[in-house]
Amino acid sequence: MLFSSIPFLFYFLPIVILLYFAVPKKLKNLVLLLSSLFFYGWGEPRFLVFMLVSILQGYIFGLLIEKHQGTKRSKVFLAASVIFSLGLLGYCKYADFFITNFNALTGMSVPLLGIALPIGISFYTFQILSYTVDVYRKDVAAQRNLINLAAYIAMFPQLIAGPIVRYSDIALQLEERSHSFEKCAEGIRRFVLGLAKKILIANILGELVATFKASDDKSVLFYWMYAFAYLFHIYFDFSGYSDMAIGLGKIFGFDFIENFNYPYISGSITEFWRRWHISLGSWFRDYLYIPMGGNRVSTPRHLFNILVVWMATGFWHGAAWNFILWGLMFAVLLIIEKLFLLKVLKKLKVLNHIYVMFFVILSFVLFDSLSIADAFHNIGAMLGAGGIPLISTEAVYYLKSYAVILVIGAVGSTPLPAYLVNKAKTLKAGTIVVNILEPVCLVGLLTVCTAFLIDGSFNPFLYFRF
Amino acid sequence: MSAKIKNFVLVGLCTVFIFGFLIWGLIAPDGEISKSERRPLAKFPTLSADTILSGEFMTSFESYTLDQFPLRDNFRTLKSLTAFYVFNQQDSNDIFIAEGHASKLEYPLNEDSINYATDRFQYVYDTYLEGNAGNVYLSVIPDKNFFLSQKNNYPAIDYNAMINKVTENMPYAQYIDITDKLTLSDYYTTDSHWKQEEILPVAQHLAENMGVSLKGEYTETKAETPFYGVYSGQSALPLKADTVTYLENEYTQSYTVYDFETDSYIPVYDTDKLTGNDPYEMYLAGPKSLLVIENPKAETDKELIIFRDSFTSSLAPLMCEGYSKVTLVDIRYISPEMLKNFITFEGKDILFIYSTSVLNNSITIK
Repeated sequence: MLFSSIPFLFYFLPIVILLYFAVPKKLKNLVLLLSSLFFYGWGEPRFLVFMLVSILQGYIFGLLIEKHQGTKRSKVFLAASVIFSLGLLGYCKYADFFITNFNALTGMSVPLLGIALPIGISFYTFQILSYTVDVYRKDVAAQRNLINLAAYIAMFPQLIAGPIVRYSDIALQLEERSHSFEKCAEGIRRFVLGLAKKILIANILGELVATFKASDDKSVLFYWMYAFAYLFHIYFDFSGYSDMAIGLGKIFGFDFIENFNYPYISGSITEFWRRWHISLGSWFRDYLYIPMGGNRVSTPRHLFNILVVWMATGFWHGAAWNFILWGLMFAVLLIIEKLFLLKVLKKLKVLNHIYVMFFVILSFVLFDSLSIADAFHNIGAMLGAGGIPLISTEAVYYLKSYAVILVIGAVGSTPLPAYLVNKAKTLKAGTIVVNILEPVCLVGLLTVCTAFLIDGSFNPFLYFRF
Repeated sequence: MSAKIKNFVLVGLCTVFIFGFLIWGLIAPDGEISKSERRPLAKFPTLSADTILSGEFMTSFESYTLDQFPLRDNFRTLKSLTAFYVFNQQDSNDIFIAEGHASKLEYPLNEDSINYATDRFQYVYDTYLEGNAGNVYLSVIPDKNFFLSQKNNYPAIDYNAMINKVTENMPYAQYIDITDKLTLSDYYTTDSHWKQEEILPVAQHLAENMGVSLKGEYTETKAETPFYGVYSGQSALPLKADTVTYLENEYTQSYTVYDFETDSYIPVYDTDKLTGNDPYEMYLAGPKSLLVIENPKAETDKELIIFRDSFTSSLAPLMCEGYSKVTLVDIRYISPEMLKNFITFEGKDILFIYSTSVLNNSITIK
């Protein structure tokens, strides 16, 4: 089930909220768990088994790791849990990738498994991994209540597209959390803004991306429009989802970590990755980069660590070479920045932002490509290769049609709107105006989003399959 | 307003909005059809273990909730107004507004579709017409974009290329160009079709090129029911209604129209259809696979067989004046293989007349 759908907004959510606040405190996690399983099963009921088995193994191994803490057995149980989690993820997500490459290398024709990827498996696998590793490291105590652990892993607000909430961040909240009118209002505010980002910007720009891909009348202008449309599409899609997840979390009394912090205003790629998909970046930092030695090793080993982490980051996003290359591209940029470029970038005012946006745009063209060859074709076309015209009637038409949304996307991906609202709030009259306008605007946005959902058909979530 | 009141108002308004529509949706009776979109609305899906496990129930339930949402048409209008006037989008659901007309984006030229259509026409020619029928003619009806697109910078198909392709693929047919007999005002503002009261010059031009003369003296009757065309519903914009006008004279009043589908005679102009889903269906009862119009007052025994789409429903009554019998064949609704059971082609003139939109989307042709 998608957040941005009528069944979720007008059936599932109100019923779950009603049940959640109607039951006593000790049953609230059970309501969350059951509703999360229903939410998950609604999309693909057969994949519930994968999730339930994953939860069970995480629960059992967590207890065993804790029970045998300080002994070799603890390590064995951790290894078993990690192998199980990564094995399931590998089987579901990467098996065909490896078979395809094996066939290409050997000339054999091992048949592909053709396994459909269970929704959100990359997210909940990483959550379970963080839980068992944290129990092993004694950062958290193992959860004895299966319902609480299952509610954490399956929790529908963040289940299918993150943020990757670590058990250690919400362990206490699973036992004891506060609900308040203010928190609920904050949650609604965040949810509606996320919904609007998704439906009114990401989906509309997604249509432009789809139109571009279907077009036979491509031009250099159209390629650049596509690149910018995809740049804002992926940001508003993913950050919109994170906003909705964080907002829903607040309604149910949880405080999830932030996942985005205006990444497109970054002055370096290093800064970009501190602002983009924060929960994934910090996960790889804490569970892969640091265990490999991080930067407290020799320079060659440090560079190797960076390459491995970013290759894994790319591979996490998808089982294809363009995703690996996407990760490696960032690894190379980060290494160059670490070696010397960062110091230069810090002295620049504008060029550093142009540098970041140029490589981020190229990276997302690579990310969205069907293959590496397709990526090079698209990037080449953006630079005028291939003999395509500079402009075409179609490109001009769609530029006119999507100019306003592109501008909204550009402005909305900066802190400017929030700055203006906060600036207004510094004045007494401004506070009154903002307080009056805020509920009206949010309900207005909810109404318009509903209208777009009812009339719209283009509504995929980019990160749905990750 | 304090922050506390603001939060109270926000939570209250959102609660009323979401729970209100939940309850409204649950208690309101389900609608049967969407008049504006001219289609049946989704019904509550069958609930069973099979439909749940296959995911069919969930997919159908989503369609059901979208179709049966309270105030659905109002929400669709809100969406279109936002797209057009807030986001300045040039079209909504591919419908654009220019020069007071709503029209649908139709591009690019789909050569495969044209080849498919002309392949089917070729089958008709090879099977029934070659060395058997009289003269074979061809005409192409431009859609509104022919007049709107270039002037208003909307992408459109290359009409010259389309006509060249069709004529090249149909060397057995004599092409009759009607594009210079039409202007934008000859089309309804809210619909894809042309107005019968404006296409008399087209009928006369076609007839003249086929060796027939039409007097073209008619009395106009304006229907009182407002006509909201297909683009009105698709765009969901509050467009001004068109008026359906139909032309009558002593000939049209004497025509008999035989419908092979229902094995019955139907009126030339069915005014009951004016209050139906598609008022344009008042002309020869809309989509019909096979009709024969007989003209008892004809001063000739010439017969014409027209292979056509919906545009000819309003054109054919004007053409009949010059023929004793006109057969209308719509091979989107009847397979050409079946025609031998109903029609004899010997010595009869044949006209293939299709709109550019059907030629560019010919998958419906059998």
